[in-house]
Amino acid sequence: MFDFPYFITMLPDIWKAFKETVVMIGIALSISIIIGLPLGVLLFVTDKGLFWENRFVKNIFGFAVNLVRSIPFIILLVALFPLTKILVGTTIGPVAASVSLSVAAIPYFARLVEASLRDIDKGVIEATIAVGATPWMIIKDVLLPEAKSTIIRGITLTVISLVAYSAMAGTIGGGGIGDLAIRFGYYRYDNTIMISTVVILIIFVQLIQLIGEQFAKSLDKR
Amino acid sequence: MLEFQNITKIYTSKNKQVVGVDNVSLKINKGDIFGIVGYSGAGKSSLLRCVNLLERPSSGKVLVDGVDLTKLSSGALRTARLKIGMIFQHFYLISQKTVGENIAFALRAANTPKNKINGRVKELLEMVGLSDKKDVFPAQLSGGQKQRVGIARALANNPSILLCDEATSALDPKTTLSILKLLKQINEKLGITIVLITHEMNVVKEICNRMAIMQDGKVIEEGAVYDIFAQPVKPLTQEFINSVVSFEIPDEILKDVKGQVLKLLFKGDVAGEGVISDTIQQFDVKGNFLHGTIEYIQERPLGIFIMELQGEKTVVNEAKNYMEQRGAIVEVVKHV
Repeated sequence: MFDFPYFITMLPDIWKAFKETVVMIGIALSISIIIGLPLGVLLFVTDKGLFWENRFVKNIFGFAVNLVRSIPFIILLVALFPLTKILVGTTIGPVAASVSLSVAAIPYFARLVEASLRDIDKGVIEATIAVGATPWMIIKDVLLPEAKSTIIRGITLTVISLVAYSAMAGTIGGGGIGDLAIRFGYYRYDNTIMISTVVILIIFVQLIQLIGEQFAKSLDKR
Repeated sequence: MLEFQNITKIYTSKNKQVVGVDNVSLKINKGDIFGIVGYSGAGKSSLLRCVNLLERPSSGKVLVDGVDLTKLSSGALRTARLKIGMIFQHFYLISQKTVGENIAFALRAANTPKNKINGRVKELLEMVGLSDKKDVFPAQLSGGQKQRVGIARALANNPSILLCDEATSALDPKTTLSILKLLKQINEKLGITIVLITHEMNVVKEICNRMAIMQDGKVIEEGAVYDIFAQPVKPLTQEFINSVVSFEIPDEILKDVKGQVLKLLFKGDVAGEGVISDTIQQFDVKGNFLHGTIEYIQERPLGIFIMELQGEKTVVNEAKNYMEQRGAIVEVVKHV
């Protein structure tokens, strides 16, 4: 069932696919942190009882986040082809796939950040308001440091979700491990490729979880 | 000086309005250690949080040194808050920052020049007795130590007022005493006005000079701690006083007593003048103590005794009048 010599000959293809997956996830993760982190903070600080309380802003962004999150990823992928074409110039390849991956991951990560911030004891925030700190100081020196560990765990979760999404993106021209699994493993009944890609993904996800958890723990001073 | 003028705080939740603070007016003088006492839900915490506007009063004014904080812009309010320190029951330190960084945070809020921060942090840690804990995280500290860090943070920008929100309620009795001692020191050394809320009368007795008692959002009694301890007027006040200075005499005992039972109150120096022994010597009465103590409040003695006087009714009355002349406050607990 598992043809080892054949597996060896396929290694360059697997390696290429793996690199594509890493590129897709890397780009999408970076963008979702750059945009999702401030978005998550915004969702939190505009909430009721906080220093930038603003129902209008909260509702607008909250709605946008929910909207994107409610669209099935496979639909989002196709719907974003025009945008991808404008941004990247093509809809084929890992860079193109990272556009829709980012769009899906931004609201996901933003909600995780918002939830992490909600876990902070309100009293700690209040105490720093009483000290006379500016909102910016509170965000930078209180909210983000206090939520640091849970945000790291959120990044771990986002990466793992991106691994799953990247397989879907692969099927419509994104490339990567998922693409390989479907083209060889599913369409050609190639068990060797199917098994090796699945094993690679399992190890990959386990590693990410392990590293993320260790990192989060090492940062937590509680 | 800190002044509340007709402060009312109404909380509105779905179709329901709850009055947290009901038209409270209070004056707290500079250098006072002012205790606000009440059960939970009495509105004392809401009132305290109106000082630095962590909660905005629904109506009324909060004047700090004559300035109405409710009228300030958010920037000016932030500046005003630098001069109002606050400490909390659960300390509320930034858990991911060291003790030193927690204090430096307050200094940075006041735009303290970078080169001055380290020195000031050291100074503050020395004041609260934690010089060796600068690089430690709050999780490694005991409750009392955390509160000391809270105090250092609150004092960082030389405030004129320090608000204490049940600051010792999460601490054991010994630690409570040490924190109270520190607060008193700060009050005496730096002249900072301290407003504290608590449900523990011991705290008030230990360090406050003035106090107010709150019930259902209203201040029901207010005055010098010594006077209120000596002669509490309202039933709730009496209940609180009884929690530290109790004079319950079991009914069994009271039933068997033959003479007149008097409660004698000696304020200040009168307590030490031997009024009772003089009385017994001069009049043909027999004295019998049922209960008694001398409490020291603000280092002033307050003597409270319950005694039985046996003898001719007229002589007992004369003895009673004599004690009153000598400065005792006499209350008849049981007639013959």
